[in-house]
Amino acid sequence: MNDPANATREVLWNIHYPWIMYALLVPTTVVAVYGFYRRIRLWRKGSSENRLDQPLKRVGLVLRHAVLQLRTWRRAYPGTFHAMIFWGFVVLFIATVVVMLDYDFGIPIMRGRFYLYFQSLFVDICGMLAIIGILMAGWRRWVVRPPHLIYNAESTAILLVIFTILVSGFLVEGWRIAATDDPWAAWSPFGNLVALGSSRVMSAEAMLAAHRFTWWTHLVLVFGLIAWAPFTKMAHVVNSTLNIYTARLAPVGANLRRLDFEHDEKLGIDALAGFTWKDRLDFDACTECGRCTAVCPANRVGKILSPRDIILDLQHRMHAGGDDTESFVGATPALSSEAMWQCTTCAACVEACPVAIEQFPKIIDTRRYLVMEDAEFPDTMQQALASLETRGHPMRGTSFTRVDWAEGLDVATMADVKESEVLLWVGCGGALVERNQKIVRALAQLLEKAGVKFAILGREEKCTGDPARRIGNEFLFETLVQENVATLDRYGVKKIVTSCPHCFNTLANEYPEWGGRYEVYHHSEFLEKLVAEGKLSGRLPTDRQVTFHDPCYLGRHNGVYDAPRQLVQIATGKAPTEMQQNRSNGFCCGGGGGMSFVDEPPNQRVNQERARQALATGADVVAVGCPFCTTMLEDGINATKGEREVEVMDVAELLWQAVEESSHATSPKPSTP
Amino acid sequence: MNIVVCLKQILDPEIPARDFKVHSEKREAEQGGANLVTNIFCENALETALQARDAHSGKITALSCGPDGAEDVLRKALALRVDEAILVVNEADSNPDPLFVARTLAAAIRKHGDVDVVLVGREAGDWGAGQTGGLLAEELGLPCISFAESYEPGSTAGTVKVKRQTDAGYEVMEVTTPVVLTITNHDQNVPRIPKTRDVMQSYRKPLEKWPLSDLDIDPATAHDYYQVAELFIPQKEVQCELVEGDTLEAKIEAFAGRIAEVIQSM
Repeated sequence: MNDPANATREVLWNIHYPWIMYALLVPTTVVAVYGFYRRIRLWRKGSSENRLDQPLKRVGLVLRHAVLQLRTWRRAYPGTFHAMIFWGFVVLFIATVVVMLDYDFGIPIMRGRFYLYFQSLFVDICGMLAIIGILMAGWRRWVVRPPHLIYNAESTAILLVIFTILVSGFLVEGWRIAATDDPWAAWSPFGNLVALGSSRVMSAEAMLAAHRFTWWTHLVLVFGLIAWAPFTKMAHVVNSTLNIYTARLAPVGANLRRLDFEHDEKLGIDALAGFTWKDRLDFDACTECGRCTAVCPANRVGKILSPRDIILDLQHRMHAGGDDTESFVGATPALSSEAMWQCTTCAACVEACPVAIEQFPKIIDTRRYLVMEDAEFPDTMQQALASLETRGHPMRGTSFTRVDWAEGLDVATMADVKESEVLLWVGCGGALVERNQKIVRALAQLLEKAGVKFAILGREEKCTGDPARRIGNEFLFETLVQENVATLDRYGVKKIVTSCPHCFNTLANEYPEWGGRYEVYHHSEFLEKLVAEGKLSGRLPTDRQVTFHDPCYLGRHNGVYDAPRQLVQIATGKAPTEMQQNRSNGFCCGGGGGMSFVDEPPNQRVNQERARQALATGADVVAVGCPFCTTMLEDGINATKGEREVEVMDVAELLWQAVEESSHATSPKPSTP
Repeated sequence: MNIVVCLKQILDPEIPARDFKVHSEKREAEQGGANLVTNIFCENALETALQARDAHSGKITALSCGPDGAEDVLRKALALRVDEAILVVNEADSNPDPLFVARTLAAAIRKHGDVDVVLVGREAGDWGAGQTGGLLAEELGLPCISFAESYEPGSTAGTVKVKRQTDAGYEVMEVTTPVVLTITNHDQNVPRIPKTRDVMQSYRKPLEKWPLSDLDIDPATAHDYYQVAELFIPQKEVQCELVEGDTLEAKIEAFAGRIAEVIQSM
């Protein structure tokens, strides 16, 4: 009798009319299927987009982000309880399938050691972990109350329902154990606790009645949840998995779509009708976790931009079933044009989203509409674009030409040399802003010192089009791309080095779509390579503390995090002190997406917030790798540093200083008489 | 109301100062790396016209004279939805005097037909002569109001009410049409930007090109009014001199003496 090999339990013990359960399964399934059908019908209204290529890669994404939930884990507390609840329910679901196979299909697997180790002990532990997970979630939702969550009845109800399902499961198990005097009780420790407790206070009859009642309650709640879930944010179990499977495979920096100026009826998007099925799936995949808004730099400094609410408001609009061609701009605060003009396109939202929603590209879609169809956008951005159109650069009022920075250096232009191993793409931010000319000078001197044969386009260089594209003037962007590609191809350029991550991203990720295929390096990568090859060396003698600020278009957009840090290490002899928000979680300088051409309200400046984070490290030098970050952070630091001496330096400047210092140190000293 | 807006294409006045060069023999600015743009006050005039049309309807004709490439400024005007555009093509001389320009524009306006208001920028960002508007009015035999910032229909038919800037503030005057207004900049006539769709379509819109000969204008008269005698960029020279002295008083004494010498030598 007590041979573990025979261990099992009676299924549907104490339950009369079990056919009712099977009968209830039909409407449950019908309602649940209808719930998803409703959503799928809405997604299918979107225009086409290919997101089904490379299935193996996509399965990998699902494994990493839906099964292992690597992004959810990035926040430890919610990551932990989410995993406890998720895995708890997955195991409980498997246990239910085991029961079904055994009882309904007559496959005798719920037996013996498998019954004891898995079906009893493991399932019991997982059920308890899920309960603890729900309590942790409840603690966060009702006690800690972080501001980026949405507090509504649905969320409360979902937590209460799944909590009740689990507790009722343990009660049912406990009363069965007690009433049947289950010899394997010890293998269900938590159920057994219920059994031990109940047998002290309840009669056998009471337990039988309570068991029956609670079993049916448990069943109704489970079936109810299955039927109801597709209509709630619980649908994310399916929607988010699909969304992860259909995520963009290219780097974040390459995720803006090309327009068809000949055929597009409307340029950009201002109404649901403009979105693809994937955008619509994005809206539905949202779990309301609020991580995107929590990391949004604009939101952090008190602006109204909230990527979460953009997605959710569009989701509500999609479900409200109104006219899909009606403009959403201004329909809610999150969808106002004011919010659209606060985005720095830093991609922190995209990076933070555990379910692969692409928030900021939708902002760009809307900007495109506002700029190209409405011609309504901030004056200073208009001036930048007007300058871009007339002069090929957005730096209105600059007193510099594209070659002034090289005065006194022996820098050749492509027009002079016709061909060159490397093209140094200087960029408007490097050539036309006095502060940043020092960066390009340092870089040019480093290249020269390392013996790299390079040339610049000089006056033939034009803006890559990055600000035009991010501000939303795709037409101007395309014009600039075509002009630049023609120039680059005329000189047969193959390898490009640039000190501007915006130029880098556009040249590397966006130009190929217009036929411009080059080997593009950010200067930090190129310089790191030169150091590794032994062509550059040096060390600063000072003991200055250096921190490094990740430029969004280098880090998040392109995944380059190590090369610039390596340069800091080489130049100073030690790794940079990290700010609290670093690498993929780095905080924007406030200058991307055309925002460096906008005057922010004095109390809502992203650069000052980042400057405070940099100052908090106690560093004497804030190292950067982007001309826009340099000017934004320098302004921010000067406004917040008080009496401290803090310098903002590009990694190229740091390295050049180190190289120079070392060459002075090794050159023979004049002998003293 | 028929509105004619005259637009001038000029070298981008916002190029870096060190890039600006003049050709002393030709006595004109060298283009160098500079692009050609629409003169800003002409853009203000166009904006004023567009606002007047938005508010009170009317038809806007954009008119320019210059080389074939000046078509660009008219395409930009077409992108802002002016109703028609005319370029008087003058390839002979890229830099005629204001009277020649005024005569050319006047002939074109007469050829074009009925007009109620002619808008001209108050001056151009290249030479800054500020004469074309007045001379054009004279050529057409029309009244001229300078430094206007906006206008609207007047109290009776055939008049407009014009607001013009003065040193002390502004004046509002009512004038019978047709009239020539020279437009100055104001925060209410900041040029709008075109919608991309309109930019794309502007290249498909009709644009009339009239050769000078059609207007009976002789290109040889391009400098009859005045000629530039000499053109150069003034050279700034900075000389630094340290005044010596043993005591503070002596230094001050020497300093004052030296200043007096410099002033006398000027």
